[in-house]
Amino acid sequence: MNANVYTKHEPLLTAEHLTLQYGDKTILRDINFCIHDIHRPNMQQGQVVSLIGRSGIGKTQLFKMLSGLIQPTQGVVKIDNDQHPVKAGEVGIVPQNYILFNHRTIYHNLKIGLDNAAVKLTEDEKKRIIEDYAGTFQLTEHLKKYPAQLSGGQRQRVSIIQQVLTGNKFILLDEPFSGLDVLMIDKVIQLLIKVSTLHEENTLIIVSHDIENAAAISDTVWVLGKEEGKEGATIIQEYDLCEMGYAWQPEIRQDAGFQQLVATIKKQL
Amino acid sequence: MIKSFFEPLRVLNRRAMVSLVIAEVIIALVVWQLSGGGLIPTPLKVLQTLGKIVQDPSFIDNLFASLVLTIKGMFISIVIALVISYLSIVPLFNPIARFVIKCRYLTLTGLTFLFTLWTQNGHELKLSLLIFGIVPFFVTSLLSVVDGINKQEFELCTTLRMGSWKTLWEVIIVGRLDQVFEVMRQNFAIAWLMITSVEGLSMSEGGLGVMLIRANKYVQLDVVFSTLVIIFLLGIFFDYILGKFREWLFPYTKLSTR
Repeated sequence: MNANVYTKHEPLLTAEHLTLQYGDKTILRDINFCIHDIHRPNMQQGQVVSLIGRSGIGKTQLFKMLSGLIQPTQGVVKIDNDQHPVKAGEVGIVPQNYILFNHRTIYHNLKIGLDNAAVKLTEDEKKRIIEDYAGTFQLTEHLKKYPAQLSGGQRQRVSIIQQVLTGNKFILLDEPFSGLDVLMIDKVIQLLIKVSTLHEENTLIIVSHDIENAAAISDTVWVLGKEEGKEGATIIQEYDLCEMGYAWQPEIRQDAGFQQLVATIKKQL
Repeated sequence: MIKSFFEPLRVLNRRAMVSLVIAEVIIALVVWQLSGGGLIPTPLKVLQTLGKIVQDPSFIDNLFASLVLTIKGMFISIVIALVISYLSIVPLFNPIARFVIKCRYLTLTGLTFLFTLWTQNGHELKLSLLIFGIVPFFVTSLLSVVDGINKQEFELCTTLRMGSWKTLWEVIIVGRLDQVFEVMRQNFAIAWLMITSVEGLSMSEGGLGVMLIRANKYVQLDVVFSTLVIIFLLGIFFDYILGKFREWLFPYTKLSTR
């Protein structure tokens, strides 16, 4: 597959002039970015973008604004082809601590996703879909277990699939690489690539401070930082990794140019 | 091994802990036996009286009267407390729930007259006082369970497109049923403690509380101590049973995060 052949189409998610203030304190200021539908020949190519910033800069607040869980003081988040303002429930979230319903088995946690999906399915259809996804994401043997019996990585997978099954095309992931060892990070990367290529419009938004891993699977990176003399974080740099030739390459982390980019972003934080 | 008993933060294995508990109980009984006599009955005397009480034909009636009253009171109280607690997340009902919590500071003695006017007979009076006494404690514990729910669980429900009533059902009602059981277990002790007080208000039905009051009146301290031992052991028994029942009903409560 030639990674250089791609086209960008209509916007799928747009953040326009997002500002968040608590009282007099500005947390986030005038944030603007746009995620376009990317097409690649002969495949379902979803979008994976990263918002990178230092801890405590307001990433989680941005995360909540993008998912419609909190309203910005100013600005708007628009989603889908019709670019309507986002409403809570239209964007899936995978929090850093992979919240699941602890009183439900993994099967039922996944079923809750399907129970609330826009498309109504019979119980047999739901069972088949859950088993299908569990097989694809190596969770079959854990379906009868409770969340407390799974490792962090396994819970993360369940959390992501739960959102996919709900039918959310947009999924926000808060620090998906945090607290994972090197091998697990590779598995998470594979999982995210797999989810992003399940559907043409699937869009993963990674909010992270892990520059290297987030950039390695992204097609676009936005750097969140503070500008001198101005209060509140904003986007200080955009990197179009498709254009730079770093997107969709499994071994990109070994590329000297990519490592140079990581070093540059690090300096900007 | 002995040295480890005195080390702060030292975790003992099960066998060592059981040995320690047995040794301490024996020491306590020996100290009690040696210091007893006179007005305070010795453990042996209490044990002998306990045997007599248990063999007394009226004991089963008294025990049954207390158990029925406690279980009935507990059941009605938990239903009322659950309704108040679940509704507390609806803004209209929140002030009511907060007021019920404060009712912990109202003494039952001052309200006996009011409840006597409201109720038809002695049983109803005891039951209503018991419920009035327990509900504020239940609501306090249940509201702390509700308040302790991670906000992210509600956010998860939102992203899973669940409405607010479905969220209430999934997160607060079904999701915290195991904790309701734990609240019940912890507050059973309060109900058990109150039973002896409320039984004194209408003694015709008998009960362990009535046995205690009568024995106290005639300064039969061996009977008082034996009745206390019975109440204590029954309390521990119910605590254990409710704990086991919780583990059986909600197996995930026993699981630890990997």
